[in-house]
Amino acid sequence: MNRTTRLSPMMRCLIVLVTLSPCPLVILSPSRAEESFAQICDKVNPKLVKLFGAGGFRGLQSYGTGIIVSPDGYILTINSHILNTQDLRVHLADGTHYHAKVVAMEPELDVALVKVGDNKLKVEDLPYFDVVEAAKRPPVEPGTGVLAFSNQFQIATRDEPMSVQRGVIASYSKLYGRIGIFEATYKGDVYVIDAITNNPGAAGGALTTRKGELLGLIGKELRNELTNTWINYAIPISARITVMQADGKEATVSILDIVEKKEKYKPLLPSKKNEGPGVYTGIILVADPVERTPPYIEDVVPGSPADKARLRPDDLIVYVDGVLVGDIHTFHEVLSRYHPNQTVKLEIQRDRKLQTVTLTLEKPKPKKPAAKK
Amino acid sequence: MLLLFPKRLSWLWVGLLPALFLIARPAHGDGLDPRILKMEEERIKVIQAVQPSVVAVLTGGGSGVLISEDGYALTNFHVTEAARGPVMKCGLPDGKVYDAVLVGLDKVGDVALIKLLPKKPGDKFPYAKLGDSDKLQAGDWSLAMGNPFLLANDFTPTVTYGLVSGVHRYQYPEGTLLEYTDCIQIDTSINPGNSGGPLFNMQGELIGINGRGSFEKRGRVNSGVGYAISINQIKNFLPQLKAGMDTDHASLGFRLETDDEEGGLVKLLVRQIIPSDAMRRGVDVDDQLVAFAGQRLRSVNQFKNLLGLYPKGWRLPIVYRRVNEKKQTETHETLVRLMGVQRQELSQPGQPQPGPGPRPGPRPGPGRPPIIDSPASKLYKAKDGFANYYFNELEQKRLLEAFRKHGDFRKATGDWALRTTGTLYAGVGPRGKRVVADFTIRSKGAKDRQNDLVQAIVDGLDYSLEPLSDEEKPATRRDPPDSGGLLMALFQYRQLLVHGEKGFVTSFSHGGVEPFYPPREGQSKPDYAKLRVDAEVLRTRHAGVDGKWYFSKKNDETAGQLLGFEIWIDRDEDPCEVYLFDYKDVDGGGQLPHRLEIHFGDKVYANLIVNAWKKEENR
Repeated sequence: MNRTTRLSPMMRCLIVLVTLSPCPLVILSPSRAEESFAQICDKVNPKLVKLFGAGGFRGLQSYGTGIIVSPDGYILTINSHILNTQDLRVHLADGTHYHAKVVAMEPELDVALVKVGDNKLKVEDLPYFDVVEAAKRPPVEPGTGVLAFSNQFQIATRDEPMSVQRGVIASYSKLYGRIGIFEATYKGDVYVIDAITNNPGAAGGALTTRKGELLGLIGKELRNELTNTWINYAIPISARITVMQADGKEATVSILDIVEKKEKYKPLLPSKKNEGPGVYTGIILVADPVERTPPYIEDVVPGSPADKARLRPDDLIVYVDGVLVGDIHTFHEVLSRYHPNQTVKLEIQRDRKLQTVTLTLEKPKPKKPAAKK
Repeated sequence: MLLLFPKRLSWLWVGLLPALFLIARPAHGDGLDPRILKMEEERIKVIQAVQPSVVAVLTGGGSGVLISEDGYALTNFHVTEAARGPVMKCGLPDGKVYDAVLVGLDKVGDVALIKLLPKKPGDKFPYAKLGDSDKLQAGDWSLAMGNPFLLANDFTPTVTYGLVSGVHRYQYPEGTLLEYTDCIQIDTSINPGNSGGPLFNMQGELIGINGRGSFEKRGRVNSGVGYAISINQIKNFLPQLKAGMDTDHASLGFRLETDDEEGGLVKLLVRQIIPSDAMRRGVDVDDQLVAFAGQRLRSVNQFKNLLGLYPKGWRLPIVYRRVNEKKQTETHETLVRLMGVQRQELSQPGQPQPGPGPRPGPRPGPGRPPIIDSPASKLYKAKDGFANYYFNELEQKRLLEAFRKHGDFRKATGDWALRTTGTLYAGVGPRGKRVVADFTIRSKGAKDRQNDLVQAIVDGLDYSLEPLSDEEKPATRRDPPDSGGLLMALFQYRQLLVHGEKGFVTSFSHGGVEPFYPPREGQSKPDYAKLRVDAEVLRTRHAGVDGKWYFSKKNDETAGQLLGFEIWIDRDEDPCEVYLFDYKDVDGGGQLPHRLEIHFGDKVYANLIVNAWKKEENR
């Protein structure tokens, strides 16, 4: 807001001249010197890519957005399920498409680095965002106007430009959010914005100043833990957080570090599993002898939540609140994030049909020695 | 009231400047950048100027915008559908309720044209000026106006302000209907009730009709992603809408697939093709479609966007490429007639359930309730294939009047004769052969003494056709050979000249405006963009054949002149195309063409110079 309203004497003279002259239109507007949003869009758009990967079922989109951070094809994006595939594809702004591979991931920052092109298929001279410079920039203040670029809803393919939205920084603060039941892995500072960027496929898009300077990466579709509302946020490029590691040592992670180290980047070991206090279902699963045993129910404890929900031996648990649980390990992991008294919807396969049952979870039972089956 | 803002604004610009710059600290915006204050002021002016044209569609619950002083207004199909009938009530920001009637429909494009009735005959409505939506860019500001959540009891529209997030967007249809092609994506907030309302640029020009949004988890409220149908697309359909038509969008008759070469640009390859004009023009499986309607193709979305801009029946150039047996790449350019997309839809009972969209009000039930008592009911006439045939009749009448200014031949109900000399190309080769060709249409000359007889001598060979006889062989109806049915075509031409709308028993209707490509003599590689003229169209069916007639719509003395026509002996074949040139006065008054160029398929049949037109009044 401190843009100058003072005018140099020369400028004043000019203005007087201009206002007096009969056809004054060339230098009339001081804003003419600034680039229009349309010009900014043209400048920013070639630095963005469309990502296509895993997903496409049960409400999980298979598309996302990324930003180019080097002329030879390194792309920064948000760490999400779409990267979990051998067939990750990237559409560049000129309409060409490439296969891409994930070269680094940092769960604590929720970001990933992806690469297109290799020795066989060289990619060079791509327009890119200078992350080093962007990371140096101090955080912008609440009230600052911003632009958000992303391929939300997969509106664009190939050479079609990203969607652009305008908004204002609402706050710069810590993130507490959740996606469904999962807590957000990233707990550092974020830009909260008033533009509606919380849409499928927007994650990994660019938040920029109104001049197109990179500020952050648009985040995931998180919900606020307290209000259950969808939160529009971006992870600042300057994001740098300190994490206590399993061995008790502190370590710092930053986006800049990942972008600079590229393939050599080693993600931190997570300090502690993202676990809740544990819950009791009364489900007894089959033995887990192999790595990926499907979660078949062996037995159900009488009077337990499972019994009340009429689960039966031989039921196969397929989804927990819409999350596919392919094996016993995943089932336990997913369930570990719930709290007692929460309800959980299980989809089970019984007699070759899918059925839905709802369970109200209970507090974990104190462990009895050698509980007999 | 005419809404021409740019002029007023530039005047305002100059007027305001001294005030803005010399007063360093404006009273109400302490410390604010004067440019911001000025933008604000300009925005308010624009809003005030366009506001009177914004319509609240009360029946059904939506919005609309007036586009002419005689009360034509645009809205969404899904808004008029919710009105459950052809007459409706609309509110204007003057606080008054107006009767309105449905005029035309574009169900695929989700557009409807309605007409508001003035309170007194001759009263003029305020209206919005149509802009050029192709000039829009992502990042431009826009204004959406309308009646979201049906808030305005006094019909004053709500205004929202936001960015154009993307242009030339493609949004998949619900079934076949409500396909948003080449639409404008906005972060300007639109909500249920905004449907059908205007999107303006900051010059106050109408650039789109707000219609839907991308919604997922929040329900049908603004998610930062709304879509408006581009006004340039609507312009292509507007003449058909004004003619009361229930229009259809287009397909080319083949399925395209992208070639998946890593690191390369997209190639669109023909994968499947059904019998269609494209197939007759030589398009085959594995051909690469390079350009359509003058635009190079870059993605499937972009192709669908382009295709969606045009109504069924339009003829547009395509460029396709093929690698032949000698491994050489051939490039072909040709005109293709667009097929419709709705046919299957119409044969299915009931409507598909359209999905998400800021769609207010109840979904239409099966069948329409009886027309309620309204002065607008007098402006409604039901007919299959039309939204409102009343308006088609108006357009027919207007066009026929303009046509007859060039010659009224209604009294010449007797025999007609046409003596020509010219060049015949069919079966002769590109250089052609000088021939004499005479044609005679004998009124009631058929064996039954009721119907007409067409006779011809072309290059010394005799031909004879009874157009209305069931006994004629298919080949006779196509005579002379390789003409596609010139005898039949000339019979139909005389029908139009002599009998007008009464000359076509099965059907006769106005067909809006379509591109027409009168050939230039001696041009081997035509530049279709240069040849193209936009012509008013009549569609006819008589004697078992379809006809399409193209009239000049130039704003000069040629307005209403017949430029040419096409006669389809069989709907699944190429028509006989007759191009008319050199209009000259004829005996008995009026003008008739004195050069006829006849095309069939990809070839020229003949180029005939008329030596004499002879016509008789009935004996």
